Amino acid sequence: MAYLEVNKVTVLYKGNKIGIKEASFEANEGDIIGFIGADGTGKSSLMHAIAGVVKFEGEIIFDKYAYHSPKEAEKIKKHMGFMPQGLGLILYNTLTVEEHLNFFASIRNLIMDKNFKAYKQKLLHMAGLSRFTEREAGHLSGGMKQKLSLICALIHKPKLLLLDEPTTGVDPLSRLELWEILDSIRKEEGTIVIVSTAYMQEASKMDKLLLFEDNGIIARGSSKELINTVRGNTYEKTPCESEDCLELYDTTYSLKPLKSKHKEPTLEGLFFVSALKNRKKLPEISVSQRKEPLDIPPIVMEAKQLTKKFGSFVANDRIDIKLKRNEILGLFGANGAGKTTFIKMLLGLYPIDSGELTLLSQPIRSGRDRQKLKSKIGYVSQHFALYKNMSVRENLIYFANIHQIPTHETLKRIERYAEELGFSDYLDAMPKDLPLGINQRFSIAAAIIHEPVVLFLDEPTSGVDVIARYQLWQLLRLLKEKWGISILITTHYMSEAEYCDRVVLLKDGKKVADDTVENFYKKHPNANNFEEIFLEYYKEAN
Amino acid sequence: MNIGVIKAYTLKEFKELMRTRMIFTVYALPLTILVLFGYGIRMEVTHSRILIIDNDQSKLSGELVEKFKHSKYFNTTEANISESKALKLIKQAKKDAIIIIPTSFEKRLIKAQKIDIAIFIDGSFPNRAHTIENYIESVIINYLQNYAQRYPTFSTNIIAINPRSLFNQAMRDEDAIVPGLIGLALFVSPAILTALLIVKEKEKGTIFNFYASSINKEDFLIAKLIPPFLLHSVSVLILFLIAVYLFRVPFRGSFALYWFSSELYVLVSLSVGLLVSIVTRSQIVALVLTVIITILPGFLYSGIILPISSMSRESYIEAHMFPVMYYNHIAYDTFLIGQGLSSKKIVLYLIILMGFACVLLNLGWFLLKKELKK
Repeated sequence: MAYLEVNKVTVLYKGNKIGIKEASFEANEGDIIGFIGADGTGKSSLMHAIAGVVKFEGEIIFDKYAYHSPKEAEKIKKHMGFMPQGLGLILYNTLTVEEHLNFFASIRNLIMDKNFKAYKQKLLHMAGLSRFTEREAGHLSGGMKQKLSLICALIHKPKLLLLDEPTTGVDPLSRLELWEILDSIRKEEGTIVIVSTAYMQEASKMDKLLLFEDNGIIARGSSKELINTVRGNTYEKTPCESEDCLELYDTTYSLKPLKSKHKEPTLEGLFFVSALKNRKKLPEISVSQRKEPLDIPPIVMEAKQLTKKFGSFVANDRIDIKLKRNEILGLFGANGAGKTTFIKMLLGLYPIDSGELTLLSQPIRSGRDRQKLKSKIGYVSQHFALYKNMSVRENLIYFANIHQIPTHETLKRIERYAEELGFSDYLDAMPKDLPLGINQRFSIAAAIIHEPVVLFLDEPTSGVDVIARYQLWQLLRLLKEKWGISILITTHYMSEAEYCDRVVLLKDGKKVADDTVENFYKKHPNANNFEEIFLEYYKEAN
Repeated sequence: MNIGVIKAYTLKEFKELMRTRMIFTVYALPLTILVLFGYGIRMEVTHSRILIIDNDQSKLSGELVEKFKHSKYFNTTEANISESKALKLIKQAKKDAIIIIPTSFEKRLIKAQKIDIAIFIDGSFPNRAHTIENYIESVIINYLQNYAQRYPTFSTNIIAINPRSLFNQAMRDEDAIVPGLIGLALFVSPAILTALLIVKEKEKGTIFNFYASSINKEDFLIAKLIPPFLLHSVSVLILFLIAVYLFRVPFRGSFALYWFSSELYVLVSLSVGLLVSIVTRSQIVALVLTVIITILPGFLYSGIILPISSMSRESYIEAHMFPVMYYNHIAYDTFLIGQGLSSKKIVLYLIILMGFACVLLNLGWFLLKKELKK
């Protein structure tokens, strides 16, 4: 019998909304189980059920003890470590690193003897926090917060460790370190580790993967096994002929055999093939040509030595970035690297401390300089700034009104965008009822309703599933081709670099690299993917 | 009970309160309530502007006018204008009251005949109008008393009235208000702090440390209640000192009773905060909700504005449902009267307060769940 058995666990929320439906799996001592899937597919619900912090149906057996409710789970909570989703969620901002470890030890009834102290030192060392024991958690970087949360969850040597997206938003190096800690813990203590992640690259580090979609587990197996299941469906890019086929940016997936060459499959492919198998049609995204050709200067945006300080903290340190006409520029970096700060300075949401900024050949020195340009700039914020109590249509009309677009023109554009971006069915729905992917496309429609010539997007792909993410990039490339506009986008998914024309990498508020995608690969011939390239920069800088 | 867990949580709360500077707001709220309202609420009316039309112009009527002129409660002017003109002055809000002394005032007084003195009062603020009316009547009665002493042959039944307020002989507003304000402050402040201490963890996510570990519900609750309880035990003392030394309210009862009943009352307030924290998820909602369910009844049923016994039936019943009334009765007693435990009512009220604490704390313990709300 397996050490952990999960049998047909279902979590229902208010109004019979399904969190996770009839999920089952097993794990043995020392296993690392990976939950992979987009936001809202049930990964967290299943974690909460196993951790015994939410009511569920079904049965979970841990070390021969079966529980069916949070109350029954109480008995095994002393053997469990749980790290919920969110950066530094379980940390108290004003407590220091040392105080955290002692607090967690106390609430776990540990005796603070020599052994404990030695173990604490070992954990601190593994997490690279030995030098920061006196620092308050609120002043740690995102990666350090996650490492501290992890060692806090490990302090009582749990036999079952549940980690809900511990690496989201963490810089690549910290992510590697987190994985190293996990690997050594499971080897030394035989801990079962359950990790959910949005990064497909991390899948290869897990013994067994569970793929989540539509609030259920759709596939399971090792990363290699899973990838092999779609080997036969993955081809070099070829035009599609039949219905059971999907032609993407550089790959084609087909259920029927194609004449073209097979391509090395990826985990992402699983989601596309699964969509094909379920006959789920991806809405066709199109963008129609603009009526009048645009008069756009060759350099759309130029930042020279742009600097932003918050007290003694330098969020942006003398950054030089040029955005050219008809270009998609990706601004990459971990949480806290200064991406959002930079975009906010471009938009005038933060005052510029020093440096020069030129937007559309217009030097920006005051708010009045920006006022003239407002109609030419579109912006999608990190949290999709939409009004929750207004329908999609009302939201779009509102945004059009801000830009003083005539009503008949507004209505025409809304119809067209809804059609082209594939959210016609949702026009009268409230934003909170929309799937994240739809929400995101509709946010973009709101940002381009006034037909800007430059578009700034701040982490639009966070938490969105593979397919919706692909569609977003497809939309951005179409906007670039058909409208000839320039796009500046920030993201922490390193794999998305492939879609950009040029990439700028930020780290700790400084620009560490700026080049075209091809040149990056030329400079780093040994790298298999962008993740590895960026890792090299992060290591170098350290 | 696990002392280690309680100690760790309690220490953590204190560290957080100190480092986030929230410790200041803990004391700022009750102090503000006491000082602001203590100085701000004034029931008595001084310097009301009255106009006297003395139609008699005699020696005796002149003496009556002098009485008004020498009172700190009135700013008296005398004029010889028509009644209608005088009434216009009230309409224009230039005068608060008009007193018209009839032509035959002196004559009738000597003969001990009935005299009609006309008094017109601006009734836009009924409470104020009543107060002014009472003051004017007192002055007149006082005048007649003096007159009767001088002329023993004079006798009339009116003089029988002897207005005198008990327990608060000086009629000092501070004495009547400050003990009630302590009841308000000690109801609002501990409830808010308790609600915030728990909801803060829900909002941040740190509540998972409790949900996902083997900590007992009661240990968690005890640890969460200790900091607000200890901090407000200090408030109990501070508020007492302010009442006695700043507002100079007399203290006639036993300090032990004041202290014990206050601590008990703080416990009731904590449990109200606990209940709020169970139904809310964000600090702002918790704050607003606590303010609504504590400040309004705390003020309305404090006995400051209106004695409970003179309330209408509905509000009389409502007043008995909130703990404020019971505590305030004890507080007023310890400050102004000093019956202490010799009064059966006070013993009963202490028991009722204990009942409140027991029921609400148990309810909070019962409703607190170690799981996410769906």
